[in-house]
Amino acid sequence: MSRRIVIVGGGAAGIGAAGAAKQVDPAADVTLYTEYEDVAYSPCGIPYVHGKEIPTFEALFLQGKEAYVQAGIDIHYETRVTRIDTTRREVLANGERTVSYDRLVITTGFTYADPGIPGGDLDGLYYVKNIRRAMEWDKVLDSVHSAVVLEASPLGLEMTTALAHRGIETHLVDSHPWALAEVGDPDIMQPVQDSWDEMGVHMHFNTRAEALLGSGHVRAVKTSAGEISADLVVICTHKRPDSALARAAGVGLGSTGGIIVDDRMATTVEGVYAAGDCAEVPHGVTRVPIQGISGSHAYAQGKVAGANAAGGDRFYQPVYVPWGMVAGKWMIGGVSFGETLATALGVPFVSGAADGISRARYYPDVKKVRVKLLAEPAHHRLIGAQMVGGEGIKERADFLAMAVKTGVTLEDLAWMENVYSPPIGALNEPIALAAQNALARLKD
Amino acid sequence: MRPAEWLRTNSERYLLEAAQRSMAAQHYGKAALPPPAPGGVFWRRAFVPVYRRLPWSLKHRIITAMPGSHRRRWRAFDDDPRQPGI
Repeated sequence: MSRRIVIVGGGAAGIGAAGAAKQVDPAADVTLYTEYEDVAYSPCGIPYVHGKEIPTFEALFLQGKEAYVQAGIDIHYETRVTRIDTTRREVLANGERTVSYDRLVITTGFTYADPGIPGGDLDGLYYVKNIRRAMEWDKVLDSVHSAVVLEASPLGLEMTTALAHRGIETHLVDSHPWALAEVGDPDIMQPVQDSWDEMGVHMHFNTRAEALLGSGHVRAVKTSAGEISADLVVICTHKRPDSALARAAGVGLGSTGGIIVDDRMATTVEGVYAAGDCAEVPHGVTRVPIQGISGSHAYAQGKVAGANAAGGDRFYQPVYVPWGMVAGKWMIGGVSFGETLATALGVPFVSGAADGISRARYYPDVKKVRVKLLAEPAHHRLIGAQMVGGEGIKERADFLAMAVKTGVTLEDLAWMENVYSPPIGALNEPIALAAQNALARLKD
Repeated sequence: MRPAEWLRTNSERYLLEAAQRSMAAQHYGKAALPPPAPGGVFWRRAFVPVYRRLPWSLKHRIITAMPGSHRRRWRAFDDDPRQPGI
């Protein structure tokens, strides 16, 4: 009899799990439940359609529903799993149909944290998540004059940029002193904020949202610095793990609220796996568990969970969190953590920064690149990095993540070899310059 | 919210706030700092100063004593002799 694998959730982790399960055991009976109308699209692309950089939402779909039918994956759309019984190995779908499983993979994703202010039930509040709703909101955006983006989270940065690019009067409201202040450092974010200023974005930092005002439909946001009129409010609060279903089933949760897993993505309950934003995984440097990382992490975790649910033996690695994005007119990125987060945690570090360029100084379209490195003071091993620049940020973030993972030191980086070719690389690599500056500070 | 989640949420919030104020003072100047949000007296006046005085090795022991995925098996850590972040 074939192994019956049930997957709850159809995001990147769920689809990764389904594909890997079929790959490991083609005879497995793989069933996936999603509460939404679609799977296999890129929700991360939604802000770029709103911003008109991408012409249509259709471009975000990876493949049609037929492809999953042909792959032998039984997907139940618009079907919510309301209960998991891990003793009887059953799930309850749509509150009425019981389905048994041999192995279960929970990939329920995330929910946005409640802003915790009055007015949450008004119309005109946009939570960016589902592509069908995004298509509807995109039509609404044509008639929006002014919008408030609540919180300068990664999505908040993307939506602020998108709305400004679209010509909407955009206000960014955040209680922190600068944008993305829980991840990025102020010197890294300054060029982004300057570019938003050029784009006409109204930034309200050190400003708390206190209420959403309106009658039926939102008309303004009340803040600690006064009222801001708005036809639309985009809620970009923290991504919280959607682990309520798992918790009710007795699956263990960690301090992040995410599902506890081991490196096989196995939960605390036999036969149950978890992956993606609903699960937490340890950070490679601090070993502190974190959750809600990125779509690429979710997909990779899903692959491991699905393969193991199908009888394979794969394991996932602790994460070093390379990240990057476009905000305003700049690319920003990093690895692990920057000075702000390292200071908050109390991790000892030495840092060094350098301003360099992306191509030969005389080559057209040469861009600035600022790199900041953090290293352990005792052994000089790299533990984090932050960057802002016009190009080449993603590649440096990927490289530096591997450098942190493998214990590369400041000395290694200070005298690293680098590509020099006028159209694609400068004589002096900014990473090397930053490492040299960090070493110089250690000698002071 | 469960106790471990409550502790992490609050400690992260106030430790980050303190770090951000310190970074903001360096970057923008102390005059640009607004008064802190209401509440959080225990966290700001007791928890953050005490936490900051602890050596990282002790902080790390306390943090990793919390329940979570890090306390299950991660083979990558078995083979890694490095002490994390020290």
